[in-house]
Amino acid sequence: MELVEIIIKSIIIGALVGFGVGAGAARMFHAPKVQGMGAFRTLGELNACAGDAASHFSFGLGFFFNAWASSVGAGAFTQDVDHRIIPNWAAAVLMRKGKRPEDTLHNPKKMAIAGAVIGVLVVTFLNSTASAIPESLQAIAIKVLVPAANLLINPVMPVIFWLAALDAGKRSGLWGTIFGGAAHLIMGNAVPGIVLGILIGKGVDDSGWSKVTKTLLTSVILLFVLSAFFRGFDIQIIRSFNLEAPNWLIDLHKLIGFEVK
Amino acid sequence: MTNQQETTTETLYNKNFWYADWSFPIFVALLSAGIFAGTHMYYQYHIGAFNDVAIVAMLEAGLQGAGYGAAAAFGASFLFARILEGSLVGILDIGGSLQTGIGIGVPALLLGAGITAPLESFVLSLVTGGVLGIVIGYVIIGIRKFTVGQSNSTFGADIMMGAGNASGRFLGPLIVISAASASIPIGIGSIIGAAIFYAWKKPVAGGAILGAMLFGAFFPISLD
Repeated sequence: MELVEIIIKSIIIGALVGFGVGAGAARMFHAPKVQGMGAFRTLGELNACAGDAASHFSFGLGFFFNAWASSVGAGAFTQDVDHRIIPNWAAAVLMRKGKRPEDTLHNPKKMAIAGAVIGVLVVTFLNSTASAIPESLQAIAIKVLVPAANLLINPVMPVIFWLAALDAGKRSGLWGTIFGGAAHLIMGNAVPGIVLGILIGKGVDDSGWSKVTKTLLTSVILLFVLSAFFRGFDIQIIRSFNLEAPNWLIDLHKLIGFEVK
Repeated sequence: MTNQQETTTETLYNKNFWYADWSFPIFVALLSAGIFAGTHMYYQYHIGAFNDVAIVAMLEAGLQGAGYGAAAAFGASFLFARILEGSLVGILDIGGSLQTGIGIGVPALLLGAGITAPLESFVLSLVTGGVLGIVIGYVIIGIRKFTVGQSNSTFGADIMMGAGNASGRFLGPLIVISAASASIPIGIGSIIGAAIFYAWKKPVAGGAILGAMLFGAFFPISLD
């Protein structure tokens, strides 16, 4: 009975997620005028497959094996289900007859419907197959695709975004460098910081130090301070400089419920 | 682009449901409902959480009684950062905001506070995720109106789109390098696949994966 329950719930979840991911991915191609939803890397990878159905399919397939292994082993889908498998397979389905990406991949309606169908199939499959996948394919996914994707996220993407910030002008380069470096220290990846640096730099280039750009800078600094605190970075930095962390700060962390060792 | 075409695109973006600002919260709500319900699946059957093993492990640590602080703080800070970034660049990162924020951070906050109902009931999990998604969607559209909408600046979105596109090109070569480091047969397979795809004027990444898989099936490597 439990399996039937899982299958019914999976169909609903898959349809909802697939619909949202598909529409969001197609809308990304119309950003910044239209608010999209996905990720820069999803956009980059969709472009890397260049509207070729076979490439979209095989790219998704590699991550599908990874997701399968991960859900069999740990019950976790991996973020790739939303970031890579659904968007790329939806694109592959829509483009199988050699249709242009402008009429398929970039169309939110078509992508939402294709995404919902793929979502139902993928989520139901992942949730209902308790048996293990062939180990040789699992090994390829884990030893080839995961390292490649990790390299892309760190250091390749930070470097590309950083260079783009430096090339975009003095202000973007400066703020990108400051926030990028800080983001890598605090969050472990420089990309969010560089993106925010470009935002501030270009915002000031285009409209000066207006109310909007000032608010923006304040919220970005606030964001960095808060996430540093919640990750215990404040205690780490004090200790890295061979200083004693004050007790009130450690108590404050305890009060929020996030204890630092 | 001629003026007439430009006006057609403007109307399409403003009026058409699939492209409009007002429909964005609906898409976020549907996706969030699914992701939150995925966490319900994990809570109930130990399968189906929409996140990476390392992040789900933080929630699992909480379920095992080690405290929800890490998962809640991690999820909440990601959610906050991605909402701000997403509204300004025009792309909401669903990994950080929805999968980690809504799928891990919010459940950890709820469970930490002793509220279990939204995770125990499937229907309630859909409703909770949906409502949170609508709120996030409106916050993003709100910030957009206040910032991008108020000034003539796109805040460098074109630069970021360019960098995003450029980074995708690195994937093909990275897969070949990674395959060549895994084992000799898999490396050879991915080189052949990549070369064939390049000659066919198809993206290199797809060929490299297929080649690696084909050779990996005949010359398996162990996971240890």
